[in-house]
Amino acid sequence: MVLRATVISGAKALVAAMTAFHVMPALAHFQMLYTPETALASGQATQLLMLFTHPAHGGPNMAMGEPEALYLISQRGDAADPVTTDLQEYLKPIFWHSEDGSVDAYEANLPRTLTRSLGDYVFVLEPSPYYEPQEDKYIQQFTKTVMNIAGVPGNWAEPVGLPAEILPLDKPYANWTGGVFRGIVVADGEPVPYAELEVEYINQSPDLEQRRFASDSEVEYPQDAFGTMSIRANAQGEFTIGLPRAGWWGICALEIGADTEHEGKPLSQDAVLWIQVKDMQ
Amino acid sequence: MKTLGTSAATALILALLLLARPGFAHSPICNCYDNLDGTVTCEGGFSDGASAEGVAMRIVDESDRVLLVGEMDARSTYTFDMPDGEFHVIFDAGMSHIVTIFSGDIE
Repeated sequence: MVLRATVISGAKALVAAMTAFHVMPALAHFQMLYTPETALASGQATQLLMLFTHPAHGGPNMAMGEPEALYLISQRGDAADPVTTDLQEYLKPIFWHSEDGSVDAYEANLPRTLTRSLGDYVFVLEPSPYYEPQEDKYIQQFTKTVMNIAGVPGNWAEPVGLPAEILPLDKPYANWTGGVFRGIVVADGEPVPYAELEVEYINQSPDLEQRRFASDSEVEYPQDAFGTMSIRANAQGEFTIGLPRAGWWGICALEIGADTEHEGKPLSQDAVLWIQVKDMQ
Repeated sequence: MKTLGTSAATALILALLLLARPGFAHSPICNCYDNLDGTVTCEGGFSDGASAEGVAMRIVDESDRVLLVGEMDARSTYTFDMPDGEFHVIFDAGMSHIVTIFSGDIE
Protein backbone atom coordinates (compact mmCIF):
# COMPACT_ATOMS: atom_id res chain seq x y z
CA MET A 1 0.00 0.00 0.00
CA VAL A 2 1.27 3.40 -0.83
CA LEU A 3 0.47 5.97 1.79
CA ARG A 4 0.12 9.45 0.36
CA ALA A 5 0.51 11.96 3.15
CA THR A 6 -0.19 15.52 2.22
CA VAL A 7 0.38 18.20 4.80
CA ILE A 8 -2.89 20.11 4.85
CA SER A 9 -3.22 21.71 8.22
CA GLY A 10 0.08 21.09 9.91
CA ALA A 11 1.67 18.33 11.84
CA LYS A 12 -1.46 17.40 13.80
CA ALA A 13 -3.37 16.30 10.71
CA LEU A 14 -0.35 14.46 9.39
CA VAL A 15 0.28 12.54 12.58
CA ALA A 16 -3.43 11.73 12.91
CA ALA A 17 -3.51 10.36 9.38
CA MET A 18 -0.38 8.32 9.94
CA THR A 19 -1.72 6.91 13.18
CA ALA A 20 -4.99 5.91 11.50
CA PHE A 21 -3.04 3.79 9.03
CA HIS A 22 -0.83 2.33 11.80
CA VAL A 23 2.26 3.63 10.01
CA MET A 24 5.07 5.32 11.88
CA PRO A 25 5.49 8.78 10.41
CA ALA A 26 8.84 9.38 8.78
CA LEU A 27 9.40 12.57 10.75
CA ALA A 28 13.00 13.33 11.46
CA HIS A 29 14.05 14.91 14.72
CA PHE A 30 16.06 18.08 14.23
CA GLN A 31 17.69 20.25 16.84
CA MET A 32 17.20 23.81 15.65
CA LEU A 33 19.76 26.51 16.36
CA TYR A 34 18.11 29.33 14.48
CA THR A 35 18.76 32.98 13.90
CA PRO A 36 16.84 34.84 11.19
CA GLU A 37 19.83 35.97 9.12
CA THR A 38 23.28 34.44 8.80
CA ALA A 39 24.86 36.72 6.16
CA LEU A 40 24.84 40.19 7.68
CA ALA A 41 26.22 43.42 6.24
CA SER A 42 27.31 44.61 9.68
CA GLY A 43 27.31 43.36 13.23
CA GLN A 44 24.23 43.56 15.39
CA ALA A 45 22.64 41.95 18.41
CA THR A 46 21.85 38.29 17.71
CA GLN A 47 18.85 36.24 18.77
CA LEU A 48 19.13 32.46 18.83
CA LEU A 49 16.28 29.98 19.05
CA MET A 50 16.92 26.44 20.26
CA LEU A 51 14.01 24.10 19.59
CA PHE A 52 13.82 20.32 19.14
CA THR A 53 11.30 19.72 16.39
CA HIS A 54 10.40 18.25 13.01
CA PRO A 55 11.00 21.25 10.76
CA ALA A 56 9.64 19.79 7.54
CA HIS A 57 6.20 19.61 9.12
CA GLY A 58 6.28 22.42 11.69
CA GLY A 59 6.25 19.91 14.52
CA PRO A 60 5.47 17.95 16.60
CA ASN A 61 7.85 19.72 18.96
CA MET A 62 9.71 18.01 21.77
CA ALA A 63 10.57 19.41 25.20
CA MET A 64 14.26 20.24 25.50
CA GLY A 65 16.24 19.75 28.66
CA GLU A 66 18.78 22.35 29.69
CA PRO A 67 21.60 22.33 27.12
CA GLU A 68 24.95 20.97 28.23
CA ALA A 69 26.77 23.75 26.37
CA LEU A 70 26.17 26.74 24.12
CA TYR A 71 29.13 28.67 22.75
CA LEU A 72 30.45 30.42 19.69
CA ILE A 73 33.80 30.28 17.97
CA SER A 74 34.54 33.41 15.98
CA GLN A 75 37.38 34.25 13.63
CA ARG A 76 38.09 37.31 11.49
CA GLY A 77 40.22 36.41 8.49
CA ASP A 78 42.42 33.41 7.76
CA ALA A 79 45.38 34.53 9.85
CA ALA A 80 43.50 35.41 13.02
CA ASP A 81 43.19 33.06 15.95
CA PRO A 82 39.72 31.68 16.65
CA VAL A 83 38.06 33.02 19.80
CA THR A 84 35.70 30.85 21.85
CA THR A 85 32.97 32.57 23.86
CA ASP A 86 30.78 30.70 26.34
CA LEU A 87 27.13 31.67 25.85
CA GLN A 88 25.64 29.64 28.68
CA GLU A 89 24.83 32.81 30.66
CA TYR A 90 22.52 33.97 27.87
CA LEU A 91 20.41 30.79 27.82
CA LYS A 92 16.80 31.54 28.65
CA PRO A 93 14.08 28.88 28.92
CA ILE A 94 10.96 29.64 26.88
CA PHE A 95 7.81 27.88 25.77
CA TRP A 96 7.36 27.22 22.04
CA HIS A 97 3.71 27.08 21.11
CA SER A 98 1.71 24.99 18.65
CA GLU A 99 -1.78 23.59 18.20
CA ASP A 100 -0.65 20.57 20.19
CA GLY A 101 0.42 22.65 23.19
CA SER A 102 3.61 24.26 24.38
CA VAL A 103 7.02 22.68 24.90
CA ASP A 104 10.23 23.71 26.62
CA ALA A 105 12.71 25.41 24.34
CA TYR A 106 15.49 27.96 24.78
CA GLU A 107 16.53 31.28 23.36
CA ALA A 108 19.62 33.43 23.76
CA ASN A 109 19.73 37.15 23.16
CA LEU A 110 23.32 38.11 22.52
CA PRO A 111 24.44 41.73 22.88
CA ARG A 112 25.85 43.51 19.86
CA THR A 113 29.30 43.63 21.46
CA LEU A 114 29.54 39.84 21.03
CA THR A 115 28.61 39.77 17.35
CA ARG A 116 29.72 43.10 15.89
CA SER A 117 33.15 42.18 14.52
CA LEU A 118 33.80 41.14 10.94
CA GLY A 119 34.17 37.44 10.20
CA ASP A 120 32.62 34.07 10.90
CA TYR A 121 30.64 33.03 13.96
CA VAL A 122 30.20 29.29 14.49
CA PHE A 123 27.43 28.79 17.04
CA VAL A 124 27.54 25.40 18.74
CA LEU A 125 24.81 23.76 20.79
CA GLU A 126 25.45 20.60 22.76
CA PRO A 127 22.00 19.61 24.01
CA SER A 128 21.32 17.19 26.80
CA PRO A 129 20.13 13.77 25.58
CA TYR A 130 16.41 13.69 24.80
CA TYR A 131 14.45 10.56 25.66
CA GLU A 132 12.27 9.50 22.73
CA PRO A 133 9.58 7.19 24.14
CA GLN A 134 8.41 5.98 20.72
CA GLU A 135 11.86 4.54 20.07
CA ASP A 136 12.81 3.91 23.73
CA LYS A 137 16.14 5.63 23.24
CA TYR A 138 17.96 8.90 23.80
CA ILE A 139 18.90 11.34 21.05
CA GLN A 140 21.64 13.96 21.37
CA GLN A 141 22.18 16.20 18.36
CA PHE A 142 25.35 18.31 18.31
CA THR A 143 24.29 21.32 16.29
CA LYS A 144 26.12 24.06 14.40
CA THR A 145 24.88 27.25 12.75
CA VAL A 146 27.36 29.57 11.05
CA MET A 147 26.87 33.34 10.74
CA ASN A 148 29.06 35.86 8.94
CA ILE A 149 29.51 39.61 9.20
CA ALA A 150 30.29 41.60 6.05
CA GLY A 151 31.86 38.80 4.01
CA VAL A 152 35.23 38.44 5.72
CA PRO A 153 35.64 34.66 6.06
CA GLY A 154 37.13 32.91 9.06
CA ASN A 155 36.59 29.49 10.58
CA TRP A 156 33.44 28.32 8.77
CA ALA A 157 35.20 25.17 7.53
CA GLU A 158 37.17 24.38 10.67
CA PRO A 159 36.21 21.41 12.85
CA VAL A 160 34.93 22.21 16.32
CA GLY A 161 35.95 18.78 17.61
CA LEU A 162 32.51 17.51 18.53
CA PRO A 163 31.76 13.80 19.05
CA ALA A 164 29.47 14.05 16.01
CA GLU A 165 29.96 16.82 13.47
CA ILE A 166 29.32 17.88 9.88
CA LEU A 167 32.23 19.79 8.35
CA PRO A 168 31.05 22.18 5.64
CA LEU A 169 32.89 22.26 2.33
CA ASP A 170 30.84 25.28 1.24
CA LYS A 171 29.99 28.34 3.30
CA PRO A 172 26.76 27.55 5.17
CA TYR A 173 25.68 31.22 4.96
CA ALA A 174 26.34 31.85 1.25
CA ASN A 175 24.21 29.57 -0.89
CA TRP A 176 22.14 30.36 -3.97
CA THR A 177 18.91 28.63 -4.81
CA GLY A 178 19.72 25.95 -7.37
CA GLY A 179 23.24 25.45 -6.07
CA VAL A 180 24.64 22.56 -4.11
CA PHE A 181 26.01 22.17 -0.63
CA ARG A 182 28.79 19.76 0.27
CA GLY A 183 30.08 18.49 3.56
CA ILE A 184 31.92 15.71 5.38
CA VAL A 185 30.46 13.68 8.22
CA VAL A 186 32.95 13.13 11.04
CA ALA A 187 32.89 11.53 14.46
CA ASP A 188 35.65 12.60 16.84
CA GLY A 189 37.35 14.10 13.79
CA GLU A 190 37.33 10.96 11.65
CA PRO A 191 35.21 10.68 8.48
CA VAL A 192 32.23 8.33 8.75
CA PRO A 193 31.91 6.22 5.57
CA TYR A 194 28.40 5.85 4.20
CA ALA A 195 26.90 7.84 7.09
CA GLU A 196 23.12 8.00 7.06
CA LEU A 197 21.86 11.55 6.62
CA GLU A 198 18.47 13.20 6.76
CA VAL A 199 17.77 16.52 5.07
CA GLU A 200 14.78 18.71 5.87
CA TYR A 201 13.53 22.12 4.84
CA ILE A 202 12.01 24.47 7.44
CA ASN A 203 8.54 24.47 5.97
CA GLN A 204 6.90 26.91 8.39
CA SER A 205 8.90 30.00 9.27
CA PRO A 206 9.72 30.39 12.97
CA ASP A 207 8.09 33.46 14.50
CA LEU A 208 10.46 34.49 17.27
CA GLU A 209 8.07 37.08 18.67
CA GLN A 210 5.03 34.79 18.93
CA ARG A 211 7.26 31.78 19.64
CA ARG A 212 5.47 29.52 17.19
CA PHE A 213 5.78 28.42 13.58
CA ALA A 214 3.84 30.26 10.89
CA SER A 215 0.57 28.51 10.09
CA ASP A 216 1.17 28.45 6.33
CA SER A 217 3.50 25.90 4.78
CA GLU A 218 6.02 26.94 2.15
CA VAL A 219 5.70 23.70 0.18
CA GLU A 220 3.50 20.63 -0.04
CA TYR A 221 5.13 17.24 -0.28
CA PRO A 222 4.00 14.89 -3.04
CA GLN A 223 4.93 11.91 -0.87
CA ASP A 224 6.46 11.31 2.55
CA ALA A 225 9.98 10.66 1.25
CA PHE A 226 10.13 14.31 0.14
CA GLY A 227 9.62 15.71 3.63
CA THR A 228 12.56 13.93 5.18
CA MET A 229 15.07 13.16 2.47
CA SER A 230 17.33 10.28 3.43
CA ILE A 231 20.70 10.05 1.76
CA ARG A 232 24.05 8.41 2.38
CA ALA A 233 27.53 9.85 2.48
CA ASN A 234 30.13 8.24 0.24
CA ALA A 235 33.08 6.08 1.32
CA GLN A 236 34.97 9.19 2.48
CA GLY A 237 32.04 10.49 4.51
CA GLU A 238 31.37 13.22 1.94
CA PHE A 239 27.94 14.25 0.70
CA THR A 240 26.41 16.75 -1.70
CA ILE A 241 22.84 18.01 -1.63
CA GLY A 242 20.95 20.20 -4.06
CA LEU A 243 19.31 23.40 -2.86
CA PRO A 244 16.07 23.81 -4.81
CA ARG A 245 14.46 26.48 -2.65
CA ALA A 246 15.44 29.55 -0.65
CA GLY A 247 15.15 29.33 3.11
CA TRP A 248 16.64 27.09 5.73
CA TRP A 249 17.84 23.53 5.25
CA GLY A 250 18.87 21.20 8.05
CA ILE A 251 21.27 18.30 7.55
CA CYS A 252 21.49 15.59 10.19
CA ALA A 253 23.94 12.68 10.35
CA LEU A 254 22.46 9.88 12.43
CA GLU A 255 24.03 7.71 15.12
CA ILE A 256 27.66 8.51 14.46
CA GLY A 257 28.95 9.42 17.94
CA ALA A 258 31.01 7.01 20.01
CA ASP A 259 28.68 7.05 23.02
CA THR A 260 25.82 4.65 22.41
CA GLU A 261 24.21 4.38 25.83
CA HIS A 262 22.70 6.85 28.29
CA GLU A 263 21.00 5.95 31.56
CA GLY A 264 20.64 2.35 30.51
CA LYS A 265 19.02 3.13 27.16
CA PRO A 266 20.43 3.31 23.64
CA LEU A 267 21.82 6.73 22.73
CA SER A 268 22.00 8.18 19.22
CA GLN A 269 24.63 10.91 18.97
CA ASP A 270 23.82 12.86 15.82
CA ALA A 271 25.34 15.86 14.06
CA VAL A 272 23.23 18.72 12.70
CA LEU A 273 24.30 21.58 10.45
CA TRP A 274 21.99 24.38 9.27
CA ILE A 275 22.43 26.26 6.04
CA GLN A 276 20.62 29.29 4.65
CA VAL A 277 19.77 29.62 0.95
CA LYS A 278 18.85 32.74 -1.01
CA ASP A 279 17.32 33.50 -4.39
CA MET A 280 19.36 35.34 -7.01
CA GLN A 281 17.56 38.62 -7.57
CA MET B 1 59.02 38.84 -37.81
CA LYS B 2 55.50 40.02 -37.23
CA THR B 3 54.86 42.85 -34.80
CA LEU B 4 51.84 43.23 -32.61
CA GLY B 5 49.20 45.71 -33.72
CA THR B 6 48.45 48.69 -31.52
CA SER B 7 45.25 47.24 -30.12
CA ALA B 8 46.80 43.83 -29.48
CA ALA B 9 49.76 45.41 -27.72
CA THR B 10 47.44 47.52 -25.59
CA ALA B 11 45.43 44.43 -24.65
CA LEU B 12 48.60 42.57 -23.74
CA ILE B 13 49.85 45.41 -21.55
CA LEU B 14 46.47 45.62 -19.82
CA ALA B 15 46.46 41.88 -19.23
CA LEU B 16 49.93 42.02 -17.73
CA LEU B 17 48.93 44.92 -15.52
CA LEU B 18 45.91 43.02 -14.31
CA LEU B 19 48.00 39.97 -13.55
CA ALA B 20 50.44 42.11 -11.59
CA ARG B 21 47.79 43.66 -9.36
CA PRO B 22 47.83 41.97 -5.99
CA GLY B 23 44.50 40.75 -4.67
CA PHE B 24 42.57 41.81 -7.74
CA ALA B 25 39.95 39.12 -7.25
CA HIS B 26 38.98 40.00 -3.70
CA SER B 27 37.16 42.90 -2.15
CA PRO B 28 38.28 45.20 0.68
CA ILE B 29 36.01 45.26 3.72
CA CYS B 30 36.07 47.66 6.64
CA ASN B 31 33.71 48.26 9.51
CA CYS B 32 33.92 50.69 12.44
CA TYR B 33 32.15 50.81 15.78
CA ASP B 34 31.87 53.31 18.60
CA ASN B 35 33.53 52.01 21.77
CA LEU B 36 31.39 54.45 23.79
CA ASP B 37 34.50 55.74 25.56
CA GLY B 38 35.45 58.48 23.12
CA THR B 39 37.24 56.12 20.75
CA VAL B 40 36.33 54.32 17.55
CA THR B 41 37.68 50.95 16.43
CA CYS B 42 37.80 49.99 12.77
CA GLU B 43 38.31 46.44 11.58
CA GLY B 44 39.50 45.56 8.11
CA GLY B 45 39.80 42.53 5.94
CA PHE B 46 39.33 41.07 2.51
CA SER B 47 36.73 38.74 1.08
CA ASP B 48 39.34 36.00 0.65
CA GLY B 49 40.28 36.13 4.35
CA ALA B 50 43.61 37.94 3.83
CA SER B 51 44.94 40.08 6.67
CA ALA B 52 44.60 43.86 6.51
CA GLU B 53 47.75 44.46 8.55
CA GLY B 54 49.57 47.53 7.29
CA VAL B 55 46.64 48.96 5.32
CA ALA B 56 46.71 52.76 5.42
CA MET B 57 43.98 54.50 7.44
CA ARG B 58 43.01 58.17 7.18
CA ILE B 59 40.49 60.13 9.19
CA VAL B 60 39.25 63.09 7.19
CA ASP B 61 36.90 65.95 8.06
CA GLU B 62 34.08 67.43 6.01
CA SER B 63 36.53 69.64 4.12
CA ASP B 64 38.68 66.64 3.19
CA ARG B 65 41.34 67.81 5.60
CA VAL B 66 43.30 64.85 6.97
CA LEU B 67 42.94 64.71 10.75
CA LEU B 68 44.70 61.45 11.52
CA VAL B 69 46.78 58.89 9.66
CA GLY B 70 47.71 55.40 10.73
CA GLU B 71 47.57 51.80 9.66
CA MET B 72 45.85 48.55 10.52
CA ASP B 73 47.70 46.58 13.21
CA ALA B 74 48.50 42.85 13.30
CA ARG B 75 44.90 42.13 14.31
CA SER B 76 43.61 44.15 11.35
CA THR B 77 42.23 46.84 13.66
CA TYR B 78 42.80 50.59 14.01
CA THR B 79 41.55 52.54 17.04
CA PHE B 80 41.48 56.33 17.20
CA ASP B 81 40.08 59.16 19.32
CA MET B 82 36.78 60.29 17.89
CA PRO B 83 37.14 63.77 16.37
CA ASP B 84 34.63 66.53 17.00
CA GLY B 85 32.09 67.04 14.24
CA GLU B 86 31.48 65.05 11.09
CA PHE B 87 34.30 62.92 9.69
CA HIS B 88 34.89 59.91 7.54
CA VAL B 89 37.27 56.98 7.72
CA ILE B 90 39.24 55.87 4.66
CA PHE B 91 40.56 52.32 4.53
CA ASP B 92 43.08 52.53 1.68
CA ALA B 93 44.54 49.21 0.55
CA GLY B 94 45.70 50.74 -2.75
CA MET B 95 44.82 49.73 -6.29
CA SER B 96 41.28 51.04 -5.90
CA HIS B 97 40.82 48.89 -2.80
CA ILE B 98 39.34 51.77 -0.83
CA VAL B 99 36.46 51.75 1.64
CA THR B 100 35.00 54.96 3.03
CA ILE B 101 32.89 54.98 6.19
CA PHE B 102 31.04 58.11 7.28
CA SER B 103 30.79 59.03 10.95
CA GLY B 104 27.00 58.93 10.78
CA ASP B 105 27.19 55.21 10.01
CA ILE B 106 29.36 54.37 13.00
CA GLU B 107 27.31 52.85 15.83
